[in-house]
Amino acid sequence: MSDFINQALLGPLELLGRQVLTVLPNVLAMGIILLGGIFTAWALGSFSERLLRVIGFDHFCDRVGMNAALLRGGVKTDPSRLVGRGIYWTVIVMASIAALGALNLTPINQFAQSLLAYVPHLVTAAVILLAGYFLSNFVSQAVLIAAVNAGLPPARLIAACSRWGIQVLAAAMALEQLGIAQHIVVVGFGITWGGIVLAGAIAFGLGASDLAKELLERRLINRSKANPEDDLHHW
Amino acid sequence: MSTNLTPLTPQTEARIQDIGSAEVLVGIPSYNNADTVAHVVRAVSVGLAKHFPGRRAVLVNSDGGSSDQTPAIVARTAIDFEHLFIADQQSILHRIVTPYHGIPGKGSAFRTIFEIARRLNARACAVVDADLRSISPEWIELLLRPILEEGYDYVAPYYLRHKYDGTITNSLAYPLTRALYGRRVRQPIGGEFGFSGALAAHYLDQHVWESEVARFGIDIWMTTEAIASGARICQSFLGAKIHNPKDPSADLSAMLTQVMGALFALMEKHEVLWSRMEGSQPVPLFGFTYEVGVEPVHVNMERMVLHYRQGLADLEPIWRQILADDTFAQLRDLQGTSNTDCRIPDELWVQVVYDAAIAHRNRIIRRDHLLKALTPLYLGRTASFVHATQGLTSVEAEQKIEALCHTFERMKPYLVERWQPPAPQPAAPALLHHTSTDAGGDHE
Repeated sequence: MSDFINQALLGPLELLGRQVLTVLPNVLAMGIILLGGIFTAWALGSFSERLLRVIGFDHFCDRVGMNAALLRGGVKTDPSRLVGRGIYWTVIVMASIAALGALNLTPINQFAQSLLAYVPHLVTAAVILLAGYFLSNFVSQAVLIAAVNAGLPPARLIAACSRWGIQVLAAAMALEQLGIAQHIVVVGFGITWGGIVLAGAIAFGLGASDLAKELLERRLINRSKANPEDDLHHW
Repeated sequence: MSTNLTPLTPQTEARIQDIGSAEVLVGIPSYNNADTVAHVVRAVSVGLAKHFPGRRAVLVNSDGGSSDQTPAIVARTAIDFEHLFIADQQSILHRIVTPYHGIPGKGSAFRTIFEIARRLNARACAVVDADLRSISPEWIELLLRPILEEGYDYVAPYYLRHKYDGTITNSLAYPLTRALYGRRVRQPIGGEFGFSGALAAHYLDQHVWESEVARFGIDIWMTTEAIASGARICQSFLGAKIHNPKDPSADLSAMLTQVMGALFALMEKHEVLWSRMEGSQPVPLFGFTYEVGVEPVHVNMERMVLHYRQGLADLEPIWRQILADDTFAQLRDLQGTSNTDCRIPDELWVQVVYDAAIAHRNRIIRRDHLLKALTPLYLGRTASFVHATQGLTSVEAEQKIEALCHTFERMKPYLVERWQPPAPQPAAPALLHHTSTDAGGDHE
């Protein structure tokens, strides 16, 4: 009976106790790293935010049109706080990965390593999306103004097409960067874009052949015939 | 004074060495002007021979890489002085035909002319466009004599134009320059100017040659910089201005962008000067004024109004960013009844211009987008002006422009209040020896 108790109950308990004792320092280390990470994240985030405010980062962003772009995207937080929160969460993620690594467990280590290896892709994808967003805003505004100045009635449609075209392209590039259904994304994007261009070309060719002819004639043959009814000199 | 010299070709350097010095210099910036440049060269040569026979003179052609033999025509154009009753030509007219360096544009061409004037130590200079058809030898006298004999530093042109010719000048450049800087220069972007050697050196020392000024904002920049530097300025009556036609629909947006961009950029530079200026002073006018028939101008009102209405519909989000709420609300409430009906009153147009200047300064949106987005608004205002002046004589139309100028001046506090307080900076440089206090008769 005593042997049974020793082997069946105390043995596993002792083993568990030894395992817990082996892991306990690692868990403790994980906790310390996490706590340290949270503190560092808070300190770095707050410091960066305050520093940016002091050096007039918000004012700079306002001058280059960043604030207006953020507002248009529904973001009402000021740029200094955004950067501060970005730094905070970056440090938190890094600390979490480091804390998981402190457990020194093979599956968790592997998971942490793969997560760490994925971070550059995540960052690249985020940068691509952000750049795509700003580029699409810039291009669509430029296209809208140019189309209105050229007197093209579907100016807003043309501008919207340019905006969505660039954003879809950016999304496809970001997904490819993340390794999500790479081939499907590339092929899907190619088919969609090619289809749009072909449809546009056919529609223009069939529905607006006179306009196309006039445009080409004006461009290639004689620009001065652009508006023979108006000889106003603006200069 | 800056010691940076504008680069010139070795041939031009050698030519300057040969000539040594000059008393007067006339510059002709050109680009593919083979049709008209010979006439301009003849007018300049005869003008110099007839009116300044004893002075050492140089003609400079600064060309932007013409592919139609323009420089060759300038070099070989001959003048038969005897048939023009000029027998006592005392001095040979030297010619310098040179390409210019830098950003392509009229400003870079002028920079080369200024540099040659500085190297030759010229006392008086003039520039005339190469596409002029109505230039006569008297223009050269009228542009140079006020500098040589009356002590002026800057001579702006004064033309007779059709009431619908030069609408950017009439609705924007003249009234705004006048309200801001307090001098009534009727053609601030005329294209033909006279200036002293000292002013040419001052122009060269400004760090603007890599900006829009180097392209086509040069005219308004020269006028504004002359006023701001304290130069003595006057105007010369040149009669009618006829030049080779340009395609207005193709050039309008770019033209407006250049003029407005230069005006607004200069407002930032000289904010200390203009923010304390009140009212305006007339600028002396030289020359014999007369009336002359001008070529009729046909205006397509419907096209302009349609452009304006499309802008109001499609560019609403951008206009809302640029304009004050009240200004935009007034524009929105102005919906006319027919396709040719658009009436933007003077007060509203002035508010639009002042709002745009403030938005440009505050970089509400990208500056080139802002300037281009104003094109339909400008067309709406032009249509309003045409509507208001149909059936009026040129003199009556001029009175309307005068009324607009007064509105710009009267509403200037609207601009000053909304303009952010200027950062401390040194007062405008007193470049030239005197401040402008000349006040001749008001001939406008």
